[in-house]
Amino acid sequence: MEAEASSFETSEMLARFLGSTPMLTESWNLCARSNVMAPQGFLIDEVGGVTYVAFSGVQSLDGLEPRCGNLVPLSVASAGVSPVYGGADGGMFSALQKQSDENSVMVDAGLLQLFLNIYHTPVFQNQMFEIKKKQKPVVFTGHSIGGAIAALSSLWLLSYYQSISSPPSVICFTYGSPLIGNERLSRAIHQQRWGGNFCHLVSKFDIMPRLLFAPLAPITNHLNTLLKSWQLTMNSPFLIRDLGNQLVELEKSDLFRFVLHYVEATARSLEVGANSFVPFGNFMFCSSDGAVCVDETVAIVRMLHLTFASSSPSSSIDDHLEYGTYVEKISLQFLNRSGDELCESNTYEAGVTLASQSVSTGQEHMVKPIKDCLRVARRIGPTPNLNSAKLAIGLSKIAPLRAQIEWYKALCDESDDQLGYYDSFKLRGASKRDFKVLMNRVKLGEFWNNVIDMLEKNQLPHDFHKRAKWVYASQSYKLLVEPLDIAEYYRSGEYRKKGHYLKHGRARRYEIFDKWWRERDIYGENGNSSNNRSKFASLTQDSRFWAKVEEARNWVESVKCERDPQELTVLWANIEKFEQYARGMVERKEVSIDVLAKNSSYMRLLEDLRILRLQLPYFSPQIYGVLDRKVLP
Amino acid sequence: MEEKLGVTEAQMIKACCLAVRSHKSSGYIKESGSEDTVFAFGGSWADQDFYSHEPFGEITIDPSLFPSLKSVGNNEPAKINQGFFRRFQALLLQTLQAEVEKAIKKAKPIIFTGHSSGGPVAILAAVWYLEKYTRSSGDPCKCLTFGSPLVGDRIFTHALNRENWARFFLHFVGRYDIVPQITLAPYSSLKTKFGQILDFFNPKSSNFHKSSILISQEALTFFKTVLKNASSVASHAACNLMGSTNSLLEIISSFVELSPYRPSGTFIFCTGNGKLVCVKNPNAVLQILFYCCQPGDESEVKDATSRSLYMDYNKELEDSLLGMQDVVYLDDDDDDDTEIPLSANTNASGDTASINAALKDLGLSTRARLCLRAAQAFEKKKLEYQKTIDSKIPMIIKMHDVIADYQKACNDRKIGYYDAFKIQKGTPDFNANVKRLELAGIWDEIVEMLKRYELPDGFESRPEWVELGTKFRKLVEPLDIANYYRHSKDEDTGTYLRDGGRPKRYKYTQRWHEHAHRLNEGSSSETIFWAKVEELRRKPFAEVKDQIVGLEKQVREWVQTEELNNDVFLEKSTFVEWWKTLPQQHRSESCLRLQFGH
Repeated sequence: MEAEASSFETSEMLARFLGSTPMLTESWNLCARSNVMAPQGFLIDEVGGVTYVAFSGVQSLDGLEPRCGNLVPLSVASAGVSPVYGGADGGMFSALQKQSDENSVMVDAGLLQLFLNIYHTPVFQNQMFEIKKKQKPVVFTGHSIGGAIAALSSLWLLSYYQSISSPPSVICFTYGSPLIGNERLSRAIHQQRWGGNFCHLVSKFDIMPRLLFAPLAPITNHLNTLLKSWQLTMNSPFLIRDLGNQLVELEKSDLFRFVLHYVEATARSLEVGANSFVPFGNFMFCSSDGAVCVDETVAIVRMLHLTFASSSPSSSIDDHLEYGTYVEKISLQFLNRSGDELCESNTYEAGVTLASQSVSTGQEHMVKPIKDCLRVARRIGPTPNLNSAKLAIGLSKIAPLRAQIEWYKALCDESDDQLGYYDSFKLRGASKRDFKVLMNRVKLGEFWNNVIDMLEKNQLPHDFHKRAKWVYASQSYKLLVEPLDIAEYYRSGEYRKKGHYLKHGRARRYEIFDKWWRERDIYGENGNSSNNRSKFASLTQDSRFWAKVEEARNWVESVKCERDPQELTVLWANIEKFEQYARGMVERKEVSIDVLAKNSSYMRLLEDLRILRLQLPYFSPQIYGVLDRKVLP
Repeated sequence: MEEKLGVTEAQMIKACCLAVRSHKSSGYIKESGSEDTVFAFGGSWADQDFYSHEPFGEITIDPSLFPSLKSVGNNEPAKINQGFFRRFQALLLQTLQAEVEKAIKKAKPIIFTGHSSGGPVAILAAVWYLEKYTRSSGDPCKCLTFGSPLVGDRIFTHALNRENWARFFLHFVGRYDIVPQITLAPYSSLKTKFGQILDFFNPKSSNFHKSSILISQEALTFFKTVLKNASSVASHAACNLMGSTNSLLEIISSFVELSPYRPSGTFIFCTGNGKLVCVKNPNAVLQILFYCCQPGDESEVKDATSRSLYMDYNKELEDSLLGMQDVVYLDDDDDDDTEIPLSANTNASGDTASINAALKDLGLSTRARLCLRAAQAFEKKKLEYQKTIDSKIPMIIKMHDVIADYQKACNDRKIGYYDAFKIQKGTPDFNANVKRLELAGIWDEIVEMLKRYELPDGFESRPEWVELGTKFRKLVEPLDIANYYRHSKDEDTGTYLRDGGRPKRYKYTQRWHEHAHRLNEGSSSETIFWAKVEELRRKPFAEVKDQIVGLEKQVREWVQTEELNNDVFLEKSTFVEWWKTLPQQHRSESCLRLQFGH
């Protein structure tokens, strides 16, 4: 039961489903039109309540050339961009950059530049404004280089929508797009669970999606000729092949072998360098016999290699212009029973065989490697639903641990020393009870870390983080236990080594739970916090409260010995901001009574401040202005 | 066949004849024979009868007419096609009900039947009959349809299975018949030429069975459109049945609106060469509907179109029923171990061989057969889940006992367990809290599974679970309320009784109880008594006077019927202490003054 592998292969069924919807045909048709009618720009169309935005595959190569093939940090996109245009936090791709180390999410410099050129045009801004206003589902699409622009646009809009609860759907279809970014980008997209928002159609032989596995410098000239010739054809209304300057057979073959060499090397080595391109999202491999959708990176790279290896120099170039044919074939698949008979009784193997047949197009020698490749992507382990059921049992098993901590809190809050929950734990002795709480805290942390780990490994249902049970359980866990984590952080002196908790010590799980809570939309009552409380909350409603208190204490200490007036002004402004925040929390009764315990850190801080202010004139007379504006608590 | 399906061959043939004949009638024809009474509903062929509105013309059922057509715990009503429903409703308002009641008096089996677009009306009539007469211990009816379009959504199917009514519905479908699939396509995709095609089916139209239509471009487009949409629905369902974890599936689904209609009841596919294939699993039926219509390749599309529009059920039934009676049961209750053979060339013997032959006659490819396996595996998994859940019953009972003991111990101390728990002073209170949390874990898991329909359809009507759920609710919900107000969660998020305040595990178990005993919605809400008290005592008397009087009346009733424990009247209970603060005049007039009197 434990490591049960899924018994069905769905990569092909999924491609069939996609093929039976109008989305592929609609998006391709607009792509083809934008190639002809909107060179260097994009077209917008609305079909059945869905907005399609297609970026032309015909783009200025001058901007592309010196940069293409070089990765640059995604954050450069926002440099010098007015926050009006930017995402939630001022960065255009804030959601992706927020992941741990900022600079390592990288994309192709040339493609990014092409995207930015369009992004900064008023016409694009206006259209996007309309789309955001309408809150309707959007499809970004593009052929060739246009596909890469579509993908970057999708990343930008998805980042923007992050701050909105229940945002409209966004999906991206690319047709023969070059690769876009590095492994970190791929991972960040995976962590955001955006993989399903990208579907890259790749025809079996097309060289373009494989191109960036290879260094471009040695083949710049060939490439230039090739791109120009492709673009001329794409730009002609009836896809009339350009007869101008073309690669000769020998050059084609050089180019093909050069790229194939690198594709093969990438597929062979499991290690990925920080500066190499890595696919993300879904790849839909198309042949004249059908298609399969693969979303597992290793399998994608191997498929890219396998199918390309069976290509030829000229078909690797011609196939880039064949997407129209493939889309039509795939959308008519339902009319074809394909009566090939299999001698296979195993459910999974039969599925794999059918899938491999739809890509191998009769090339017998490819069937086996493709099957091996699909097996790589096979899900091992229990189904997401089973996992989530097991977690639910786990949650009920740790409930007593939580109840114990709740009990501990009640005892602390009622205790004679009037320290309150936070300070009792921070200043705790070596009693058995304190130890037990410490252990429970660790166990609960492990449980929740495991939940997040499973979620990010795609082992849980997709809507897991929206399910009421988990949103509420994680929130109440956070409110109860994070104060203990903060106490431990400052007790152990870790903040001296690393810096303050909020910036340097906060566990990632809490950030994630904050996000779940923000995005919850369970009973449609999000944000009715206007209710007046008649008594103090049982748990302080902002679990970061104590960390803020600790920071404020630090500022107060600094004020005492700071002499630089400019620094002092900053410090006082910070303190004042904190006071306002804390007073608001207390007035709205959003804090638990432990905050107001006589000897709590917060109360002692207030006392310190009061005394400090009495002495203030002796320290720095120029702060009077600040002081006058408000009444002391 | 009679013993498996409960209808004789003669009845099937008679029903079919009448169903076809009834197209000429206005509404329906009734034929009372010595064996049975048959109601045969004629079809209608206006656009509006298939789609009352875009995109699929469905409406939520009228709960007064169809109280069972819902998912009980989830409280999700079924949806049905509005066009067909309107026709049924019109007939019901005229003579149908009187005629049916006449037929009941004869104490002979009653059969509802319909062909093509008459089918959905027969289905609705049968469901109405089952709701009205069978649920209150009357005899069940039968429903036989021939090439009927789909009429209900997945909740409709779920409800028929839960009530164990699905077995009364037999739907005959010819292998190539396109009509059963029509409503899988949105109206917008058919719109322009739909009228012409419907005329072809309409015996009253001059274009009835006109051969020029059969080979027209319009027919070809119609066929392709319906089939493409059927393919969408089927492949989407297949991905889910096969447990696809690719999130692309979900994202695409949010862009594409798929038809809500799903098959329900038992389907009997006519292969066209005298064989019948009987299928109960609704997911399997959905797949077969699409795949058996699929042309071999694109060159066959024209032929496939013509044969999909013309289907003679009378002849087909006579051929198969009066001849060899070659019937295959794809998912028999007795042997669920027969695996669907994946290839027509499989060498097999016994059951597998006959199933293989039948699937071959239906033209099911390996891909189609994989989908059937997925549908089978899906049902099997539901049974497995149910087994796991069932295995927890002893554990649940044990924990209930612990809480019952706690309740008793508190009573002995003359403090109700609600108040004792709210104060949470001693270790017994803490231990009770732990048990409460453990139980919540188990029940929440059940609720989650029901929400995702991962348990067998019949789960919520199993008496042992309905009873266990009621016991749980009575015993533990007061503790949840106590905990809620102890932590003053009403101030964090609002009162316990607001939407989303009360845990689902109690809402679900209350609905089970009410549905099983056919009580009104909300009539057994005695377990939220404490929440009502807590809510009322926080408000000024004048504002909630009427509500207090209402609550007092309920309390008297509940105590009399022993729904509510006497401990609410203990001296120190929250209820008593609050009641004593009410104005003297109110107390002296209260219906509870005697209880408080001693």
